Amino acid sequence: MAARSFDAPAGIVVFFPFYLIIINTFKTMQETARNPVALPSKWIFTNYIQVFEETTVLRSFGNTLTITFFSVVLIVLIGAMGAYPVVFNPNRLTRVAMIYLLAGFMIPFQATLIPLFQLMSDLHFIDKHYGLIILYTSNSVFVFFLMMGYMKTIPRDLSEAAVIDGCSVWGIFWRIILPLLKPITITSVIFETMWIWNDFLAPMLFLNSSSKSTLVLEIYKAKGEFAVQWPMFMTLTVITLIPIFIFFLLMQKHIVKGIAAGAVKG
Amino acid sequence: MTRFVRQAQYLSFLVPILAVYSLFTIYPLLKAFFLSLTNFDGYSKVYDFVGMKNYVRIFSDDALLSALSFTLFFTVAKALLVTVFAIPLAIIFDQKFLTRNLHRAIFFFPSIPSGLLLAYIWGFILAPVDSGVMNKILRELFGIGPQPWLADPLLAKISTVVVASWAVTGWHAILYLAFLQAIPKEYYEAAAIDGASRLQQFRHITLPLLAPAMTISVMLLLTGGLKVYEIPFALTKGGPGFETYSITQVIVLRGITETQYGLASAMSIVFFFIVLVVAVFQVTIMQRREQNLQ
Repeated sequence: MAARSFDAPAGIVVFFPFYLIIINTFKTMQETARNPVALPSKWIFTNYIQVFEETTVLRSFGNTLTITFFSVVLIVLIGAMGAYPVVFNPNRLTRVAMIYLLAGFMIPFQATLIPLFQLMSDLHFIDKHYGLIILYTSNSVFVFFLMMGYMKTIPRDLSEAAVIDGCSVWGIFWRIILPLLKPITITSVIFETMWIWNDFLAPMLFLNSSSKSTLVLEIYKAKGEFAVQWPMFMTLTVITLIPIFIFFLLMQKHIVKGIAAGAVKG
Repeated sequence: MTRFVRQAQYLSFLVPILAVYSLFTIYPLLKAFFLSLTNFDGYSKVYDFVGMKNYVRIFSDDALLSALSFTLFFTVAKALLVTVFAIPLAIIFDQKFLTRNLHRAIFFFPSIPSGLLLAYIWGFILAPVDSGVMNKILRELFGIGPQPWLADPLLAKISTVVVASWAVTGWHAILYLAFLQAIPKEYYEAAAIDGASRLQQFRHITLPLLAPAMTISVMLLLTGGLKVYEIPFALTKGGPGFETYSITQVIVLRGITETQYGLASAMSIVFFFIVLVVAVFQVTIMQRREQNLQ
């Protein structure tokens, strides 16, 4: 069938860049320059040893993990909290708040960049992990709308029954609503993790010292330092791709589900 | 009284999101608008209102004009390229074959890592010198001499679009696939009984029913394309000259690097309105579509 004959070569072409960087991490610089495409004539592992010794990739991994973890937890929590009164206690005030937040979809980060730069330095948030984490929490607007859509599917009787039983506003949220949000929380966590883990612009602008670097920032700086030492640079790249690849393998089904759900809902 | 307390408790849940959103999104946007009307240079406390002067200056700024035209070209070209490849890809993914899951994964994976990293990998392939992988392959297989993939203005633009499209085509194919799987198989069976060819089935069943998916996919590509930064930045540094500068890159250059806060703020406000027009267009189309469905 036509489909199959197109498929295999296309797959190879799409995968080719990854093949290329992986095999070149096992070559010397000379061999990479001479023959970048073939398999290594002799497999060497010194590039990996050298990268772990000469770069701060492990520290950057730790930094990225810290920033991503705390940002995502806060984003999901703040987003879910915001959606709660809008869905379960709607009135004129919550409606105004919702419209106000909706405007956030129209405002690109880039448009706010210059004043944001001033604000971050006025708040002494520059070169601080917590500064970046707090900045990222403004992403909770996206999660807020995901949560709102999902909460509408939760029967109202549930919270009303809890009110009759004397449950407080806080109690209803933490004990009844939050545990029901698991599916949409998974989707939110995945999309926010991908966005923050991969972000380049904000860390580049707001983190200066190399001890605070994220992985993407480390790659950017290494590109300047290693210049044409391609095998070293590619080894660093492959190492940073490993956690992303594991994330992909574990989460692929959920990511696909998230795209489909988001798409079908429009 | 208790009713009032309850209401207050409910509203308190909105406080964190309203606070961070107001502080980090709304306030900076308003401030950008304010700064765009001044000649503030980032340092001196004294600055003047200059009215629309910054907005006029934008249109004589070569870097910005170049960035504007490249960003629009990039956005439209990438949207076209991705759409043209994602739909057939989705149809292939919908069929049963041995390595289907492997192929889905291969096409999907490039949309997961950072664009910066992917563009650096492609930088190795498209290296302008003899040692670039692409040039090596061309010479050994076809005897074609080295091409300046990233140094020639037109080739650099095309390379950037191709790399960016390579990264997200699988993602958009998955989006189309979700809609494709929702089409009842009976439609095709009925059409086949009526003697419709495969091509006719595609033309009259598949394509119309994929229209809603196309709206979403294209709109995501358009808004995402306008915000592009990492891929051209990592692939060409914006060069040659300002040929592949993105709008974001110019805002960073003029605002942060050169501390021309007034001018850069005017650029961000113009950028905001461009994105706004696309977003409003998007909402209108979405609503019309939903009305048609009801």
